[in-house]
Amino acid sequence: MNKDSQMRAAINQKLIEMGERERLKELLRAKLVECGWKDQMKAQCKDVIREKGLEHVTVEDLVVEITPKGRALVPDSVKKELLQRIRASLAQHSTL
Amino acid sequence: TKYIVPAGCPHVNGFKVDNWKQNLRVIYQCFVWSGSVESRKRKAKSCICHLCGAHLNRLHSCLYCVFFGCFTKKHIHEHAKNKRHNLAIDLLYGGIYCFVCQDYIYDKDMEQIAKEEQRKTLRSALVDCFVSCGLCDAGVGEKYSTWEPTKRELELLRHNPKRRRITTNCTIGLRGLINLGNTCFMNCIVQALTHTPLLRDFFLSDRHKCEMQSNSCLVCEMSQLFQEFYSGHRSPHIPFRLLHLVWTHARHLAGYEQQDAHEFLIAALDVLHRHCKDDNGKKANNPNNCSCIIDQIFTGGLQSDVTCQVCHGVSTTIDPFWDISLDLPGSSTPFWPLSPGGDGSTLNGESHLSGATTLTDCLRRFTRPEHLGSSAKIKCSGCHSYQESTKQLTMKKLPIVACFHLKRFEHSAKLRRKITTYVSFPLELDMTPFMASSKESRMNGQYQQSVDVFNNDNKYSLFAVVNHQGTLESGHYTTFIRQHKDQWFKCDDAIITKASIKDVLDSEGYLLFYHKQFLEYE
Repeated sequence: MNKDSQMRAAINQKLIEMGERERLKELLRAKLVECGWKDQMKAQCKDVIREKGLEHVTVEDLVVEITPKGRALVPDSVKKELLQRIRASLAQHSTL
Repeated sequence: TKYIVPAGCPHVNGFKVDNWKQNLRVIYQCFVWSGSVESRKRKAKSCICHLCGAHLNRLHSCLYCVFFGCFTKKHIHEHAKNKRHNLAIDLLYGGIYCFVCQDYIYDKDMEQIAKEEQRKTLRSALVDCFVSCGLCDAGVGEKYSTWEPTKRELELLRHNPKRRRITTNCTIGLRGLINLGNTCFMNCIVQALTHTPLLRDFFLSDRHKCEMQSNSCLVCEMSQLFQEFYSGHRSPHIPFRLLHLVWTHARHLAGYEQQDAHEFLIAALDVLHRHCKDDNGKKANNPNNCSCIIDQIFTGGLQSDVTCQVCHGVSTTIDPFWDISLDLPGSSTPFWPLSPGGDGSTLNGESHLSGATTLTDCLRRFTRPEHLGSSAKIKCSGCHSYQESTKQLTMKKLPIVACFHLKRFEHSAKLRRKITTYVSFPLELDMTPFMASSKESRMNGQYQQSVDVFNNDNKYSLFAVVNHQGTLESGHYTTFIRQHKDQWFKCDDAIITKASIKDVLDSEGYLLFYHKQFLEYE
């Protein structure tokens, strides 16, 4: 693992230990609902299901189709806020 | 119609042996939804792919042995094939994957276990949260789960097969009210109440369980009224029973003369509040701690700070309120001409063209510090003597529905008249500048606090406007109500007509009803 992914893994560990990862997940969930992202994704999923057919579609089909769209549609303001939160949490417990 | 039943698969049978339930619970507790500090430490350390060490890439755990592998990189698939362990669990969301079916499966028993473990974790996480950081603004708590009907509800649904589809253009909820002789003061309030979303939801979901013996429960009558309004009938409703109950319970409103709509609103809320035993079964006796639907929706807290001018000690009281009565310019009470602009109006995007008074001007006046003159000295507990003081009102707790009463009817000793000054009011209102907390920040020197775009708690939307036309002696009440987010209708007794947003905002305004935009679960 290179330095970057080592850092990522260390941060991830710290956040899980602090319980902060769960809180961040909930915050992100709330933000994505508020800005309508969840509804957009729901609509996309429906399209994929219609396309592939209800009997044949798998979770994997959905993941493959909507992950790139989902990532692209997250508003910058949400990314910014999450980043701020992570920075603030890590600064509080700065043994990293 | 085809019903999609959550399908399990036969391949789980190999797993469901011996102590499988307990084993599965342990996996959920340790690696999926870690609630305690120790399990989180364990999760942080051990949840990495055994093949490549990554913690992202949709990590899955084998259900048959201790193996973690990436899904995206197919490391868990390799393991499944080599060891013939056909089941894995997604460590992010707890879903069970079957490698034979090549899809996530939903086994009833396993789903049950997953739900229970998740609930346990959320509860303990909430406690942890409060303990470790004092505040919890991420709102970790009872997870939202979709509604599942009870046996009784299924029965009712089967016995009542008629379904009504609500489209954006349907007029369900709109119904005229016959005027029974100067009863427009009652009709206009009924229109506002039947279009208060939370109140509507409460009554349409039959949440009122009546404990009154007689037939004179006003809450039951309200319930009936909602049924009438949302029945789909287009003919005007005749509210004679409601009128009779009002005369019974609010004697001061009885008679055939025109009454004040605002007085009727307060009287109606009061009687409804009294007739609502706390619908959760407890008695609602304490006015400060009632949780009846009226209090939940309409009650706010008004903070009054009296500051001694000598020792600067502050004496604070908080009183409940159902409405805010605002003085208008032109009344005999001094209305300070405030300079246009300032926190309130820039926040609420109001323009001061032609110097029109705005709702926020009135609110700023309402919450300004008022010097109580030398003839009204208050006994100061700090100075132990009577001193001059200033008094200031701010909002401590905002109600879900805020009702603003513009005091247009002047009944002083000298004159009785109606103040017809135009007051402009916004569609969207932010109450932040008038909060007790904002006042504290200002006092601590944080002027012009950056508008917290992410704090939506104090934002309101207009949904009903009651207007009075005419004079003090003879007048008529009508109501504008909002339907389907951006459609407005004018309710004039039995006549309902479509209205434009401009009609609403240009109207004089007597009672303004605002609804919180965002609701938090308690």
